[in-house]
Amino acid sequence: MLLSYLKIAWKVLLRRKFFTFISLFGISFTLMILLVVYAMFDYTVGPHRPELRVDRLLFINRIQLLYNYGGQGNSSLGYAFLERYARPLRTPEKVSLSTANWGTMVAYVGQQVLKLDSKATDAEFWQVLDFDFVAGRPYNAAEVRAAAHVVVITETTSRRYFGTTAGVTGRDLVLEAVPYRVVGVVRDVPIARINTYAELWTPVTTSTDNLRDPNYQGHYQAIVLARSAADVPQVKDEFQQVIGRVPFPDPKLPGTVHSFAQTQLASLTARFDTDAGAEGGVGRFASVLLGLGLLFMLLPALNLVNINVSRTLERSAEIGVRKAFGATAGRLVGQFLLENIFLTLLGGALGLGLAAGALTLLNESHFLPYSTYALNWRVFGVALGVVVFFGLLSGAYPAYKMSKLPAVKALKGENAA
Amino acid sequence: MIHHLITLMWNRKRASALLITEMVLAFFVLFAVSSLGIYLQRNYQAPLGFAYENVWELSLNAGSQPRAAQFGTLVQVLQRLRNTPGVVSVTRTKANTPFTFNNNTADLDTGKGTKKAYGDIYTAGPELPQVIDLPLVAGRWFDSRDDVVGARPPVVITEMTQTVLFGGHSALGKFMRVGNDEFRVVGVSGPYRAGGELSDPQPAAFRYVSPQDTTAQALFNLLVRVQPGAGAVLEKRINEAIRMLGVGWTSSITTLAENRHTKLKQLLTLPALLGVVCLFLIVNVMLGLFGVLWLNINQRRGELGVRRAMGATSGAISRQIVGEILTLTSFGLLLGLILAVQFPLIGVFDVPAGVYGTAMLLATGVLYALAAGCALYPSWLAARIQPAVALREE
Repeated sequence: MLLSYLKIAWKVLLRRKFFTFISLFGISFTLMILLVVYAMFDYTVGPHRPELRVDRLLFINRIQLLYNYGGQGNSSLGYAFLERYARPLRTPEKVSLSTANWGTMVAYVGQQVLKLDSKATDAEFWQVLDFDFVAGRPYNAAEVRAAAHVVVITETTSRRYFGTTAGVTGRDLVLEAVPYRVVGVVRDVPIARINTYAELWTPVTTSTDNLRDPNYQGHYQAIVLARSAADVPQVKDEFQQVIGRVPFPDPKLPGTVHSFAQTQLASLTARFDTDAGAEGGVGRFASVLLGLGLLFMLLPALNLVNINVSRTLERSAEIGVRKAFGATAGRLVGQFLLENIFLTLLGGALGLGLAAGALTLLNESHFLPYSTYALNWRVFGVALGVVVFFGLLSGAYPAYKMSKLPAVKALKGENAA
Repeated sequence: MIHHLITLMWNRKRASALLITEMVLAFFVLFAVSSLGIYLQRNYQAPLGFAYENVWELSLNAGSQPRAAQFGTLVQVLQRLRNTPGVVSVTRTKANTPFTFNNNTADLDTGKGTKKAYGDIYTAGPELPQVIDLPLVAGRWFDSRDDVVGARPPVVITEMTQTVLFGGHSALGKFMRVGNDEFRVVGVSGPYRAGGELSDPQPAAFRYVSPQDTTAQALFNLLVRVQPGAGAVLEKRINEAIRMLGVGWTSSITTLAENRHTKLKQLLTLPALLGVVCLFLIVNVMLGLFGVLWLNINQRRGELGVRRAMGATSGAISRQIVGEILTLTSFGLLLGLILAVQFPLIGVFDVPAGVYGTAMLLATGVLYALAAGCALYPSWLAARIQPAVALREE
């Protein structure tokens, strides 16, 4: 039964090639755009290196001082503050402190200036995250304590400074007139990984910043690794309790302190919405995105409905015969929906190919530094879901219209347009 | 003729409803994208007001140096910079230098209860006009006369601010307020749009930072005009000099040209993506419209055959088909325009109504052109129908 439906669908597609082309064009391009957007989203917040264990990671990178008179201050946190309140958390497996945003360090190669994005971190940084080491090792706790001038660099940094990636460990990289010994080389980190991205990483103790500055606001963040994904809520709760006991920094201007341990996605959405709370406005973000996605699919879907309705009318004689021989309306609706989903699946396969091409193009344009967008099984899953949804969305109305066609009229070739 | 076409459309209202919905959506997409495009293009054409070539932005970081000692080091740094060959002039500013993503805004007015303007507030030293080539229209720029601390500090405003706050009159010597502080206008400058070419042109005012100003403001951002052709060598020399002068001091240099490029790239990415998506949607609608019309003609061969047999010329048939689709488009447009008119009426997004008006005209034109273009081939097919063949098929 199913097989014969598919055969019919195939024959119908071949009969009017121009219409098949129009339908497939609409479906595949719609899907391509949705898939490219999803692939970029997945690349930013999904489990990719260095945040491979993203389901166990929490980020503390914003503090909000809410004054009772109405003013507020939002920024990253002070190092001493994190050392005092985040480092001693009991529920997580490990806590790492690092600069919240990347800075720039300058190196000179002959007459050329290299402006390298840098991040200052502690030793735990390398245990909490999963960097892909090509050579060497991360710097350890002893080196951080001793403020050793050591550095971990990316492959591209290595190529730009030394001209090669081989045998670089142990050599000196001169940053702002200070020689740093290269201890490790890692694969490039894309800029989309905004919490961990840099082109080189140095021990936090080597910076000229005053790490004992008691100011709550500063430019540091904590990355927290929970023992398991199930432990994440407990870690969040513990941090909330700790923050609840923190005294307000200025006794003359009373107020409250807000800071949250957030997931990767929430830490990104919270950048756009400072009052979003612990969940970082993820719900609102998701509903806006879903709404835009649906709105975007509406036009191609309407287009497909239009074409399907026209094509259905051409087949009114066939429908009449089927009805006369006792096919129920339900069965006809089923058949037509199946045909439509078959069509959208074909379009989906094309769309996946187009999306792969578009992503390759995007990678090669180097529009976003070090991006290596690619399709993965999550993207495939989303594609399948979207295709079936799109098929149902665009097939329902024509199928309903078709099943309502009175058999007598249909046999006579009259269409109830 | 029009009346007849509307009747024809009304008789097929169920089938036409889908097409009209599609037209409304297509119009809306066109309207949204052309509004954005026209808005950006208008901003781009407004004068920037300053020269960014051969200007560097130098940001300083005092590290852990105690606050009291920072000003002393800054004075040394400035002196060293001015004596460095290759450096033409240097000025202190706040962090809202040209093409950065920092801004500093406030309400401007000429006293309590008067008309308010919302504008950018910049802070600059006496050398700014030379550094960025900023022309003065009236009055003077800040100089040593302003170092005496008076009740009302000096301010220089742009021409646009003068027009908005003082009407057509000269603002020189008059008082104005920035936030709650009172100032005395000493000069009027040309436009200064540090936000870059794509920023909304808006009023702006300059506050003065005197070379003797030891307060924490405007310590760490300098704008430096260098000689043409200056590059890595000068950059290295400046960075090294600064590290030698202050313990723990570091500096980073970017050229304004680089900053401009970064900002343009960031601000244009989203509109470019929207443009691509819009193009795809429109092609989609075109193909769909074309397909539906083509099928329509095939189904109406009998009817068109009768018309030809009754003496209608092939031109008349063509006109009928194109007329039908344009009537349909007009209905879609009408609905779309009713929706689109809400934007300037409610004043969404703070965009001038003229932008929306032009966008509506543009979207209307494009939609009509698209519809007519799609109808051409089907109408030609219809006109070619031979009455003898068409009627025999019945």
